[in-house]
Amino acid sequence: MKFDVAIVGAGPAGLAAAYKLASAGFKVVVLERGREPGAKELYGGRIYAYWLDKYLPEFRKDAPVDRWVRRERVTFLTEDKALTVESAVVEKEKKSFVVPLVSFVSWMAKLAQSAGAKIVTEITVDQFVKDEKGRIVGVQSGPDVLHAEYVIDAEGVNRLLLERAGLAKKLEPEAVAVGVKEVLKFENKKVLEERLGLDEDEGLAWAFAGYPTEYLPGGGFIYTYKDALALGVVVYLRNWPKLKTPVYELVEKFRLHPYVAQLVKGATLQEYGGHMTPVAGINMSPQRLYHDGLLIVGDAAGFLLHTGVLIRGVDFAIASGVLAAEAVKEARSPSAEDLYVYERKLRSSFILPQLEKFRHADRLLSDESLFRDLALFSTEAAYRYFSIDENHRTLFEAVREASKHTKVSLLKLMINMIRMIRNL
Amino acid sequence: MSLKYFTIEERLNANAWDVDIHRPHIKIKDPDMCRKCEKKPCTYMCPAKCYVQQGDIIVLSTEACVECGTCRVVCPHGNIEWNYPRSGMGIWYRFT
Repeated sequence: MKFDVAIVGAGPAGLAAAYKLASAGFKVVVLERGREPGAKELYGGRIYAYWLDKYLPEFRKDAPVDRWVRRERVTFLTEDKALTVESAVVEKEKKSFVVPLVSFVSWMAKLAQSAGAKIVTEITVDQFVKDEKGRIVGVQSGPDVLHAEYVIDAEGVNRLLLERAGLAKKLEPEAVAVGVKEVLKFENKKVLEERLGLDEDEGLAWAFAGYPTEYLPGGGFIYTYKDALALGVVVYLRNWPKLKTPVYELVEKFRLHPYVAQLVKGATLQEYGGHMTPVAGINMSPQRLYHDGLLIVGDAAGFLLHTGVLIRGVDFAIASGVLAAEAVKEARSPSAEDLYVYERKLRSSFILPQLEKFRHADRLLSDESLFRDLALFSTEAAYRYFSIDENHRTLFEAVREASKHTKVSLLKLMINMIRMIRNL
Repeated sequence: MSLKYFTIEERLNANAWDVDIHRPHIKIKDPDMCRKCEKKPCTYMCPAKCYVQQGDIIVLSTEACVECGTCRVVCPHGNIEWNYPRSGMGIWYRFT
């Protein structure tokens, strides 16, 4: 059987491409190794809506949304102290939302199918099929070969196919982090709302730095599903030599930290998982994003923007899938020459310019002393400012005392603050 | 605040699986290499505790693997042969 387009991976990027191509009349097949779309996928918990309105506006009509995020919280956490900043908006804005990825992806799969795309699950693609000239002309799964005019690689962060084909170098520890996540379910949504002080259907995105990762690069997160919390930690792979606790214990230590434990009390564990996430942004992109017969989209292409607190994967994935579909529609042939149009589209879209803009974020965020200094110093300074004893401290006194107590140099801290302001 | 600690086994038990007992999808290429490996990052970075140190050797059990691929990337000796489980097998996320 021959298809116009074979897409590897039924994630946000692959399904976006499938939907657009099938809508344009192409014969499309999506190959997914899981039991259903989303079965192998895991993310933090939030999707940004702005670019979805441009690239997949259908989502406003009937895509599943658990909660619209109207509270952004950042906490510096130490063993015994916390400093939290919250940004909230009263108006019922709909700019980013929390939803289980599997629910969202399942909605996308139905959309793609209704447009005529064929989704085949339980197929693990082992490698690309090349012709005698080295052009990619299909995919292989076990003994089965499937030919297609175009192949779209939406295999995700763990890009085995690209590595096997020699189209991406082996994933380096510097390029990725591992996320470990628990889904904690409450008796009902009221309990969650009361616990976190949320309005009905109001959502919260919460990032933690310091304690969750033993002060190493990465952090902790909490997102609010309808009646459950997504709670987890993200640890950069390059920092493993400094880790004292295995990652599978880190996530429980974070959940059981008194500052967090009071919030999740009584919730039952619904699911536990782990997944890698790109942290190097454009620095981990394969050298080329298009080849004879092949386009690369989503995480496999390094299209994830990570600036510490703000992490955007799904909107980049969907937009890149849509652009790949447009490139296929416009290309006269599957030759790399004709598929160059994909890169042109990426450049004139938000994808490459925004990834370029934050090119240096990764180097700063992987600085081993950054989070340690910030978390230890800021919690201590705030604590001292709010503590009244024989001395009522000025802010300056609190800051100076905290610097002395935590042995964090004020000068270094200020330099890092400037680096953060400029790069994140 | 006393709250129940979930062991990794308890946590993994919350998941849905379809274990491929006939073909482990991950293999250690050269067990001797692991013996010489100093800090054994796989034992720290695997979210499912698939790698356990016993004496100076590493025991790998792939049944509860969540297929993240971290071990392959973090192994300083490139000593891990990593494939996805056969079609449809392995972890099945439903709520994440």
